[in-house]
Formats: sequence, C-alpha cells, structure tokens
Amino acid sequence: MNRHKDYKEKTSDLYMNLGWNKRGQVAIFVIIAIVIVAVILVIFLRPRLGFTTTQGFSPEKYLGDCIEPNLRDNINKIASQGGYYNPEGFVVYNSTKVKYLCYTSQYYKTCMVQQPKLREHFEGEIDSLIKPKVEQCAMNLKAEYERQGYAVSLSQAEESISIVPGNIRINVIAPITITKESSQNFRSFKVNIKSEMYDLIMTSVSIIDYESTYGDSETTLYMQYYPDLKIEKTKLSDGTTIYVLTNVISKESFTFASRSLAWPPGYGIEEVQ
Amino acid sequence: MKNNKGIFGIILLFLIVIVISLNLFSVNAIENTVCCEKTQSGLYCQDVPSSECAPNSRQVPTSCQSTSYCKPGTCYDSVEGTCLDNTPQIVCNSNNGTWSEIKPAQCGLGCCVLGDQAAFVSLVRCKRLSGFLGLQTNFKKEITNEVQCVLSVQSQEKGACVYDFEFERACKFTTREECLGNNAGNSTGGNGEFFAGKLCTAEELGTKCGPTKETLCIPGKDEVYFKDSCGNPANIYDASKINDKEYWANVKDKSEACNPSGSNANSASCGNCNYPLGSFCRETTSESAKASYGNFICQDLNCKKTQNGQSYKHGESWCVYDDAGSQGESDNSVGSRFYKHICINGEEVLEQCADFRQEECVEDSISQGGIKFSQAACRVNRWQDCTAQTEKADCENTDRRDCAWNEEAILAIQNGSSKGACLPLNTPGLKFWEGDEAQAVCSLANYQCTVTFEKGLFGGEKCTGGCECLSDSWEKDRIGICKALGDCGPKINWAGQEGYKEGYKIDVK
Repeated sequence: MNRHKDYKEKTSDLYMNLGWNKRGQVAIFVIIAIVIVAVILVIFLRPRLGFTTTQGFSPEKYLGDCIEPNLRDNINKIASQGGYYNPEGFVVYNSTKVKYLCYTSQYYKTCMVQQPKLREHFEGEIDSLIKPKVEQCAMNLKAEYERQGYAVSLSQAEESISIVPGNIRINVIAPITITKESSQNFRSFKVNIKSEMYDLIMTSVSIIDYESTYGDSETTLYMQYYPDLKIEKTKLSDGTTIYVLTNVISKESFTFASRSLAWPPGYGIEEVQ
Repeated sequence: MKNNKGIFGIILLFLIVIVISLNLFSVNAIENTVCCEKTQSGLYCQDVPSSECAPNSRQVPTSCQSTSYCKPGTCYDSVEGTCLDNTPQIVCNSNNGTWSEIKPAQCGLGCCVLGDQAAFVSLVRCKRLSGFLGLQTNFKKEITNEVQCVLSVQSQEKGACVYDFEFERACKFTTREECLGNNAGNSTGGNGEFFAGKLCTAEELGTKCGPTKETLCIPGKDEVYFKDSCGNPANIYDASKINDKEYWANVKDKSEACNPSGSNANSASCGNCNYPLGSFCRETTSESAKASYGNFICQDLNCKKTQNGQSYKHGESWCVYDDAGSQGESDNSVGSRFYKHICINGEEVLEQCADFRQEECVEDSISQGGIKFSQAACRVNRWQDCTAQTEKADCENTDRRDCAWNEEAILAIQNGSSKGACLPLNTPGLKFWEGDEAQAVCSLANYQCTVTFEKGLFGGEKCTGGCECLSDSWEKDRIGICKALGDCGPKINWAGQEGYKEGYKIDVK
C-alpha cells in the first residue's frame, strides 16, 4: 500500500517536474480518447467512403461516368436486336435486324428455342463491345491521376459484366498504384449502372418458354402482374411475332422475334412443306 | 385424211407428254426437307430443304425430332434456375446449358418466400432471387400452386422488430420470422424483439425512428406509404394523419386507411391506391399531379376515351374490328384482320391477331361488385372444315368450328343434291395473287343453273324450271356465297376500295 502511494507520489512529482499539472493530465487523456475515437471512426467508416483520394476524387465514379454513355448506346443497340449485336437468323422490322429467339420454318409447329441463356449471352455481347472503351477509360483515369501530380502504375484493364435486378454491374479489374507522398493500390473498381434490363430479359425468357410450348403467349397477364411493364406484340403476315418489352419508368426496352405455330393463308396446301 | 389424223394424234401425244412431264417437274419442285443443324440464315435445327443448310452443317433426311443433335428437350440454366422446353440439344449444350430429354427434377416448382413476397419458382431460382435481396433461401416445396404460395406470405404477421445497433435502439418493420432470426442473414441479426402490429415509430417502443413527411412505394404493394426516419414504411399515406400519433403507432389495414373503396388516382391527400381499379404508387413527375406530402402519388393508369370512344381500366382488353366491311357475317373485306386493344398504364396498346384472318378476336367481361372488367383474346378461326359439313347442327357446333349455315346456298361439291351449305362465319384470307389455291377455294361457288322455257302456242316463252336463277336476288345470293368462301368475288379491301375486276362472271348459254 505504501509502495503504491510512493509510486503515485513519485509520478505526480514527475509530472510536476515536467511542468504538467493535473489539468494537463486530463487534457492528455482527452486527446488520447479523441485519437482513439478518430481511429475507430476511420476503421468503421473507411469502407463506406470508398476509394476517394484527394479533393474528393473517386476513381469509380470517374470510370462510371466514362463508361456509361458508351455502355448505354451498346445496350440499346443490342436490346433492340434481341440481345445480339450482329444477329444471324433475324427478321428485318422497322429497318432493324431482330433476332429470332425461337423459330420454326414450318406451319402448325411450335418453335425451337434458339438462345436458352439469354442473359449470359447479352452479358457476353456487352463485354466484347465495351472492352476497348474500358481500356480507354482506364488510361484516362491514369492520365487524370498524373494530372493531379501522382506517379501512376497501371496494368492491363479487364472487365466482367453482370446484369442483375435494377443494375448492370461492371467489375473493372485494373491494378493501379498511385504515389504522391504515400502509395495507394487499387485492384478493381465496381461500376454500377442503373438498368431494368434484367427483368426485361427474364420476362422475354418466360415468353419464349410460352412460345415454344404453346405457340403463343398471353401478354396481358404479364402486364397485369408487372405494373411497370409494357409489352407490344406485332404479328407479321408470315407468322412472325415481334415482341417489344418496355419498362414504362426507365423507358428501356428489349425487342425480339419469334415464329411459332404459324398459320398459312387459306388451307396452305401450297405452303406446307 | 388418215394422214392428218395421224399427225394430229402425234401432236396430241406430244402435248400429253409435255403436260405430264411438267406436272412431274412441279411435283419434284417441292423439295424434301432435311433436319438441318444450322441454316444459311443462321437458325438452328430447322426442317428445311437441303439447299438451305449452311455449309458444313450436319443434315439428315428426317425430322429434327428424330435426330440426336437436334432432338428437342428441356434446357436447364443452373445459374438462373430456369428451364426452357423445346430446346434442341446442340443449342442447349453449346450455350453451357444442361440438356435432358425429359424435364429434370431441378425444374420442379415450389414456393419461394422473399420477405413478405413470394414467387412460385424452382429451388435454384429461389436461391438466386433470395441472393439478390440479401435473404436466406426459404423454399417451400410442399406448396404446389401459385395461389397458395402468394396466400402463404400474405398471412405473415408483421410488426416492429426492435434491436440494438451501435448503442442505439434501432427498429425494422418486418415479419416475425425475419425478426426472430428464423430467416438468417437479416439486418437485425436475429436478435430482435418483435412487436406485432406495431410501427417502428410507436412512442412506447422508444426507438430512434420517428415520423417524417416523406412517403415511399413498396415493391409488390399498390399503395403510397409514409416513411419513418429510419427508412421503414409506416401506414398508408393520408395527409390528414400526418401528426396523428396513433396512426404512427399501430399498423392499419388497407380498409382502415383513407377512402378504401376508391382508386384515389391523382389524390394529393390519400395514398390508398387500388391496382384493380387502376391506380398505382408512382413517383410524381413534372407532368403528374402532386401530393401534399412526399414525392409519390397514386397514378391513374386507366385509359380515357380510347379509339372506340369508351374508357377502360388498366389491364382491360377488348376487340376492335375497324377495317371496312363486316365481321361475323361471312363477308370480311380483303386484307382485314382482327385487333385486340389493351389498356396499359393509361396507354392504348394494340395487338394484331394473325393475318389472313386465321385468328379472330373474342371478348367477354367479368363483373364483380358491379364493376365490369373486359378481357379479349386472339384465337384460331376454325373455318377450315365448314364447307365439308352437310348438316346444320354440325355446321353450327361452335365447340368445333366457326361456321354459319346458309339455307339457300348450294356448293359445287354438293352436286346439287340438296339445298343448304355451311360457310365460314369470318371468311379466311387467301393468297389470290399467287398459286392456284385461291382459285380452287373460290371455285366451290361455281354453279350451273338450268332454266327451262316452254314455248307458248301463240309465240312467246314461259319459264317452267329453274326460274329463280333469272332473278336479281339469285345473282346476289350467288355472289354472297362466293364472298363467304374467302377472298373471292366482288369484295372490297380493308380500306373500302373495290377491286379492278368484277370478281364473278355469269355465262348464259
């Protein structure tokens, strides 16, 4: 007990010798507490801040803004052609080549599915189309950092696309190291672009299923179930049906063709093969 | 003379040979089809003439059903959990799908519970959807129909789930199951305390969540809801209850909210939208009506004054036949077709039935609580065997065909045996500009009428037999029969224009 008291007295003397009084001690403790809280806040909040470097510059936002216009154009083009950029097996409708996702050349027969994995195919088409743009945007990002006074090391950029409900996600894998006073490494950037294409594609798959099984689909039910969906169905003289699915909120649309359970004119004696 | 006969005989024989060879040639012109793995136009597994197959594409002189590579079956997408029927094996396999001749067990449907919503899908699809929503998979295989599936989630008890988060009393408005951790992966950590029928803003719960003047739309719900300061939905938006503590404390049913029997379309003060009546929660725009509080409103989805002058509710469909001529009277105009119109989101969308009137539009309506709901559909025009019917009862059997009995008509195939013929109710379209089929169909209306005259003693003639054929009405009837068979006779087109030719001929011999 005495030893403890001695220690307290000694340390107290020491602080006094250093010119610190009790108030000073309290101040030190407060500063330490603030530092601890600040460290905790940084630890907890850091992931939420994202990859933001100096002056609020976000490489993800930069890449997103760079890629989006090109991506949107390509999505619109592919979506208007049944999920294909350069379709084979198509019908020309309103000067656009619309891919047959289900087709039979015969009369009175249901169609054969031509693309069972539409979403994956769509992703692949976008991927191949935006690759040059992604590389260009990664180079632009490097240039932007260099403009801000960073030394930048950038590896070859690669990307992967995934279409999910409400979004098109682009994972840009572009290992980059930026150095000014200290170094920062980024391996990949996640770019999210708002899009309702997933629902349009999956509804199209469901319509294809109906077309291949029953020869036709009842679009009114889809529209009653999904308030944001509009389906326009146009039947051409040769038995082809053009489907245009539109999200009435985002105005995005997906167009494809099908020829199933087609009827010939008259008895079709001369038409049936 | 004999020589002349011989030469004539040789020429006749030569002509016969030419005619026969031409016929044979025309028969051979219809090329046999093969199952083509890929056609020149890039389509897979089509039964087409061999000449249409792509180079290096496999082809077998049989139907695709019988081949190994084009055999249709079910293609299973193991990522999305979807199954597509009638997919050729090669198409499925080349797209990394899993093909099987019969539907695999993975395609079996069950009830997928997604929070307070449900989907009747396969197990893998359920996992995929749950993953998107950040929920643990809750798949009920024992539920075997969609209605039961939807009802099962509607009966879920909802309330305030209070839990501790970052030294605060947080709250989430959710189901009991999710709150108490039966559905792991939820934000409450499964350690919440559940208060059934309570809102997170109830003062007695002492949570950090309070009332706001903001509103929101909830996926799968029609109505506009108040939003609390934690982002949770509260009760249905009612401007008059914005400061009502009780309204912010206890869950109110739709029937207890403002104007439950109306659609409340474009109402600034009431967010009790009613989808069957044509209103749905939507964000306000510069063109839409504004709400007194918040940025959401019950948008009017109904169609006012459509093409036929009537108003329809969202989702209603109806038939339109507005081309020239009539319908259902065995006299449709050339090029005319049936249309189904649909009211969607305040917009009138039209859908054609098959061309050449191979489909016709049928319409009916259902009434519930004095509210009529019209539904239309394109269905096959069953005219094909009309002329083969000899009995009125068979002709008018609407379960089998769409025909009308004409008491006075006699068709060429009847050999004049008896009066009365069965004719299509909606005449089919024909490709009269090419081929011989139209001529064959229309020639059924050919008729030979023998009129007998008797000379009088003092000159003059008196008609004694077949005299009706001399009347104007007979000619009119024959024209009617001709027109009823298809695009035959003196018809007008869909725009109301007459043809360049008379369309019929009466020979008097």
